[in-house]
Amino acid sequence: MTSTLETPEQEATVSPPAPGRLSRLGDRWLAIGFISPAMLLLLAMSVFPLLWALYLSFTDYSAARDVPASFVGFDNYAEVLTSSQVRQRALTTLIYVVGAVGLQTVLGFSIAYLISRRTRGRGALTTMFLVPMMLSPIVVGLFWRFMLDTQFGVVNSLLGSLGLGQVEWLTQQRTAMLSLVVVDTWQWTPFIMLIALAGLTAVPKYLYEAAAIDRASEWFRFRYITLPLVWPLLLIAVMFRAIEAFRQFDTVYILTNGGPGVSTETLSFHVYKVAFLGFDTGTASAYGILMVLVVIVLAQFYLRYLNKLKEG
Amino acid sequence: MALSVDEAVPGPASDPTPHARRRTGGGSRARAVIEGGLLLLLAVAMLFPVLWMVETSIKDGRDVYAVPAQFIGFDATLDHYRDVFVKPGGGRSDLSVAFLNSVIVAGASTALATLLGVPAAWAYSRFTLKAKKDQLFFILSTRFMPPVVVVIPIFLMYRDLGLINTKLGLVLIYTAFNVPFTIWMMKGFIDEVPAEYEDAAMLDGYSRFQAFYKVTLPLLVPGIAATAVFALIFSWNEFVFAIFLTSSSDVRTAPPAIAGLIGGTTVDWGLVAASAVVFALPVLVFTYLVRKHLVAGVTLGAVRR
Amino acid sequence: MRFANRSRGPARRARLAGATAVAMLVSLGLAACGDDSEPASKEAPSELDDLTDDPVTLNFIWFEWPPAQALEDFANAEYTKERPNVTIKVDTVPNANWHDAMFTQFAARQTDFDIAVLDSQHIGEAVTNDNILDITEFVEENIDTDAYDPYLLAAYGQYPQAETGQRDEDASLYGLPLLGDTWTMIYRKDLIGEEPPKTWDEMIAAAKTCQDENPGVSGLAFHQSNGSDAAAVTYNTVNGVYGGNLWESKDRKIEGVINDEAGHKAMDVLVNQMKPLTAKGSGNWFIDEVNAAVAQGKACIAFQWIAASGGLLDPAQSTLGKTREEILDKLGFATLPSQDADFVPLGGMGMHVSAYTSEAEQLEALNFMRWFQQPEVQKKWAAAGGVPSRTDALQSPEFLDAAPFNVVYAESVPRLRDMWNVPEYARLIDIENTNVNAALNGAKDPREALDEIARQQQSVLESSGGLD
Repeated sequence: MTSTLETPEQEATVSPPAPGRLSRLGDRWLAIGFISPAMLLLLAMSVFPLLWALYLSFTDYSAARDVPASFVGFDNYAEVLTSSQVRQRALTTLIYVVGAVGLQTVLGFSIAYLISRRTRGRGALTTMFLVPMMLSPIVVGLFWRFMLDTQFGVVNSLLGSLGLGQVEWLTQQRTAMLSLVVVDTWQWTPFIMLIALAGLTAVPKYLYEAAAIDRASEWFRFRYITLPLVWPLLLIAVMFRAIEAFRQFDTVYILTNGGPGVSTETLSFHVYKVAFLGFDTGTASAYGILMVLVVIVLAQFYLRYLNKLKEG
Repeated sequence: MALSVDEAVPGPASDPTPHARRRTGGGSRARAVIEGGLLLLLAVAMLFPVLWMVETSIKDGRDVYAVPAQFIGFDATLDHYRDVFVKPGGGRSDLSVAFLNSVIVAGASTALATLLGVPAAWAYSRFTLKAKKDQLFFILSTRFMPPVVVVIPIFLMYRDLGLINTKLGLVLIYTAFNVPFTIWMMKGFIDEVPAEYEDAAMLDGYSRFQAFYKVTLPLLVPGIAATAVFALIFSWNEFVFAIFLTSSSDVRTAPPAIAGLIGGTTVDWGLVAASAVVFALPVLVFTYLVRKHLVAGVTLGAVRR
Repeated sequence: MRFANRSRGPARRARLAGATAVAMLVSLGLAACGDDSEPASKEAPSELDDLTDDPVTLNFIWFEWPPAQALEDFANAEYTKERPNVTIKVDTVPNANWHDAMFTQFAARQTDFDIAVLDSQHIGEAVTNDNILDITEFVEENIDTDAYDPYLLAAYGQYPQAETGQRDEDASLYGLPLLGDTWTMIYRKDLIGEEPPKTWDEMIAAAKTCQDENPGVSGLAFHQSNGSDAAAVTYNTVNGVYGGNLWESKDRKIEGVINDEAGHKAMDVLVNQMKPLTAKGSGNWFIDEVNAAVAQGKACIAFQWIAASGGLLDPAQSTLGKTREEILDKLGFATLPSQDADFVPLGGMGMHVSAYTSEAEQLEALNFMRWFQQPEVQKKWAAAGGVPSRTDALQSPEFLDAAPFNVVYAESVPRLRDMWNVPEYARLIDIENTNVNAALNGAKDPREALDEIARQQQSVLESSGGLD
């Protein structure tokens, strides 16, 4: 196989490799030798387990029992899709993802916008804002649990000194969800901010100068120059966050354990219960595969926009 | 091309516009003050929990639970930091063992991911391969699997391979999660090194492999370091696989061990805070080291600007 | 999974990869089946002649709490006198992760522990899946079963479960008692008087008066968390006190039993009379939060597991006094009040030998269990802070004088009641925990919550799998 049969890739960010480089047989073997170990690992650790889960999702297998799996067709899928429990968790997850990602997008973009307008201290400010994002979600969850304690938590203490009463942050339905959203927002606003800042600083100066000549209003400049240029990057950040929030397990586990009752149980948390409390491996696998499908849809959008961005 | 946080980036604010000129100097200054104040407020809100964590870690038990909360004027103590590393009766604490396990697991998986990912990234960057983009997107997509879902089949697989409750098991799964990232991130760095360098070396009689090894690789060291640091942070912070695939204290890494501090009959929040600080410190130091590559780092190498 | 598939070549390659993976899958699946064909229900030997003299580490798995450390220290100090080549190690996991940590290893058919400290209700799941050794014969040969209250042997080792308070002599045994436990009522003698309330209604009234008279102190503190078995045990206790039943074990009937009139009455008392007397935000409290509230003088009456109460007497953790004696002037420990019936929750755990460790370690584990059940050792265990199960040890001064709440345990033994010990336990407890927790925190109407518990638990018992 020679490279003359292949069209060179369009790589927006790169100087493309000179065509004809692969004409040497050695190169081909080198490429295979360099790529296949990584690919094999991914096949073994990501693809194979997923195929296994796919197979198990059509069986009644339980990891706890020494009974061979028997085929049950789409029963597990039907069970998950018609379950009112799952519907409730899906709604909870939706509220969590939309609430958290929405809030952090607004906040993150605002902070980025404010920082981009500053002339001094930008680097130091940005670095400071980034700290929460790098912490382990477990540490973040634990610490917020401490701060949100009704009796001795610092949040209620501060509210108290403002003359407000104690709030039950983690044990009431609405406030527990709010707390989850707030904690996720605290941790990931820096992410949106960072990406938005990258977009904002990439807006070419001459566009603003042109707008200035036209005596465009500030809103006009923001709406028709800044936003359209930042939008694709921001959208990528939002989708990335949506995928991450959808996958999130740690924060719920530590902060509310799904409570009160099951009102903050997300899909990730629920699938864990199905998998490890009853060892209903077949059902849990179908549940998991369905979740993966959701992630794939989100990831499709992510990758499509990424593609556009790279080519555009 | 990566965003540097330190760079003073040209932005709209520095452009003198007629709009701004039309205003009186006082007006725009007032606006700058308001904006600055707003930023300060947001910065305080974002940093307060971190400060509170540090403060709690040096308070003694009584002050930790004090109502109303004490911000200043408590007696500082380093006892909690001692407890992180030393058992009450002497000897190494379980937490310090967990920290060591974290170092081993995160270190080994990062090394392995680098070893596998860098050559692959180079091949993807330099060679025209069939369906390269599809392959690259496939690689990235494996990183998006929900860990809670992946852990079920991984558990079954590890059961047959005897990898449950082993450090090697954790190393392998973390490597699998870090390889896609390493490939994407490193491809960006390699794309920035002109292929002509290698061509020139090959004209001098180097083989393709030697050209990669002797010419390109040395130029990539800073990029490899940045990539490795991000991989290290991912593995260091990981919780889901750690809690479901390991159980004994010889193997357990720090995140489940720290989470375990609140499962007992008394919760020592001072100790929780101190171990959280000790746990977070390396990450913050590393973050500072790779601050120039943060955008690429946190988007799995997908966005580079 | 592939994205942005626009060319044909990779599709063919993906099919090939898929076929390879399926082939691997099938072969692995077959391999797994081959591994699984071992005979069911392994029996422990009744003779322990072949103990090794090589160094052995005997590993336990338990959750993180003081008795775990006490056991490790005690066993290393005492057992090594008889077996110098043995080291005891008690691995601990967070309480919330306890069941998962043991049963994922069981499911892996490979355990890094030799003795699992199973909760009494875990036995059914472990036995059904052949995770632990059948020690019926071993017990017959080596253990003086007459020295125990029969129900304690049944609770920590027998499967299937018999009627509450009874032992079925024909049923098999899978474990021996390690630590007995039940709830104790902790009350502030300085606030509500020396005499503990005798009935549940009196207790609630005393708590209310105390709360009204002492601003900043709440009337009650008890477990309400939706994790582990916290909220469920609380409801089960009140249910027992008000004459309710958790189920009819013979017909496996829960619907209509737990949510009968007595059951609803108990839920009403818990949510509408007891919950208003607790501290604000206590809806996720478990062992440690209740201890903290008592130690900081913020509760008039509290309910706690005896084995977790030791820390309350530690002046370093308490604001109630500078010495143990000063604290004991203020804190009283009593058996639970009764009302329409006289039950207290059975806590504590037994020792169970993993079916997946080496034979040498299994033998050593059995030898440890035999050693542990000797009268003298049981008394020493009591003195070291443990709660023994042998009747002679329970009535020994070593035990009764070791802590003020030990007499509470001795008095409670005839009143103990356990939950369902069935393989579906983990799911049953989760249903009850989350629903009781929801009712306690206003996320669900208490009546609806109890009916929901009954309905969901019944459906779990009837179909061994499934989502609602």
